[in-house]
Amino acid sequence: MPPATILIVCLVLFSAAVIGILAARPGFTAGRGGKILAFVAMFCLPIFCGLLGFSSEMQRSKTTAFCLSCHTMEDYGKSLLVDDPTHLPASHYQNHRVPVDEACYSCHTQYAMFGGLKVKMYGLKHVFIYYFGTPPAPQDIKLYEPYNNRECLHCHQGARSFEEGVVHNADPATLPAIKSNQLSCLSSGCHDTAHDIAHLKGAKFWEKGN
Amino acid sequence: MLSPSQFEKRMRFAGICLAVGLLIEALCLFWATPIAFIVFVAIGGLLIFIGLVVYLYSVVSAPAVGD
Repeated sequence: MPPATILIVCLVLFSAAVIGILAARPGFTAGRGGKILAFVAMFCLPIFCGLLGFSSEMQRSKTTAFCLSCHTMEDYGKSLLVDDPTHLPASHYQNHRVPVDEACYSCHTQYAMFGGLKVKMYGLKHVFIYYFGTPPAPQDIKLYEPYNNRECLHCHQGARSFEEGVVHNADPATLPAIKSNQLSCLSSGCHDTAHDIAHLKGAKFWEKGN
Repeated sequence: MLSPSQFEKRMRFAGICLAVGLLIEALCLFWATPIAFIVFVAIGGLLIFIGLVVYLYSVVSAPAVGD
C-alpha cells in the first residue's frame, strides 16, 4: 500500500475515533471548546477525509490491476502480452508507449472536458452489470461509442513518427482526415487489431511480460 | 426547540453514522477492486452524508442559550 494511502487511512481512523468519543459523550459539546471540537471533528474532518479517500480511490481506479481484477477482463489483460507488433494494445503496453500501471485508462479515457468523469460512469455501469446483470462474453464486449482519434492524437499529435510517417503522408488528405476524426485510426484498416479476444487461443505471448 | 436529550440523541446518531462511514471508507482503501470503490462511494459516502446532515440539523435546532 502506498505511504499516502496509509496516511489517509490513519487520518480516517483518527477522525472515526474522535467522532466515536463525541458520540459516546455528547455532553462534551456543551461548552464553547466542545462545540468547536465537535464542528471540526463531525463536519470538517469527515469532509476532508472523504475527499482524500475519494481522490485516492479515483487514482487507484485508473490502474491496470484494478481494471483486470474483474474476471471478464482477464482475456483483455492477456491480449496485452501478445507477441505481435501489429496488435495495437500489446505493442503500446510492451513498449511502454502508455504507462504500464495505467494501460487501460490511458487509451480508454476521453481526453475532453469531463471525459474522465464520463468513463468513470461507464466503469460504474460495468460493475453494475457484472454484479447485478448478465455480463457478455469477453469477445462480445463492445465500446459504448466508436473509438475517437482524439485519444490517439493526445500522445501522437506532433510526434515525428506520426506527422512525418510515410503512410500518413502518402496522400495529402490523409493527415487532416485523421486529425479531424474523419478517417479512423482503428477501423479504417490501418491499425485495426485491437485486443482480438476471439483469436487469443492460438496467439504467441511475450513470456517476459509475465 | 430541541430538549438537551433530543440534541444528544441526534449528536449520537450523527456520530455513529460518521464513525461507521469513515471506518467503511478506511476498510475500502485496503482493496483495489471495483466492489471496494462502489462500497466506498455508495455506503461510506452515504453514511457520511447522513451523519453530516443530522449533525448540522441538530446544531441549528439546538436550544439557544437562555431559552
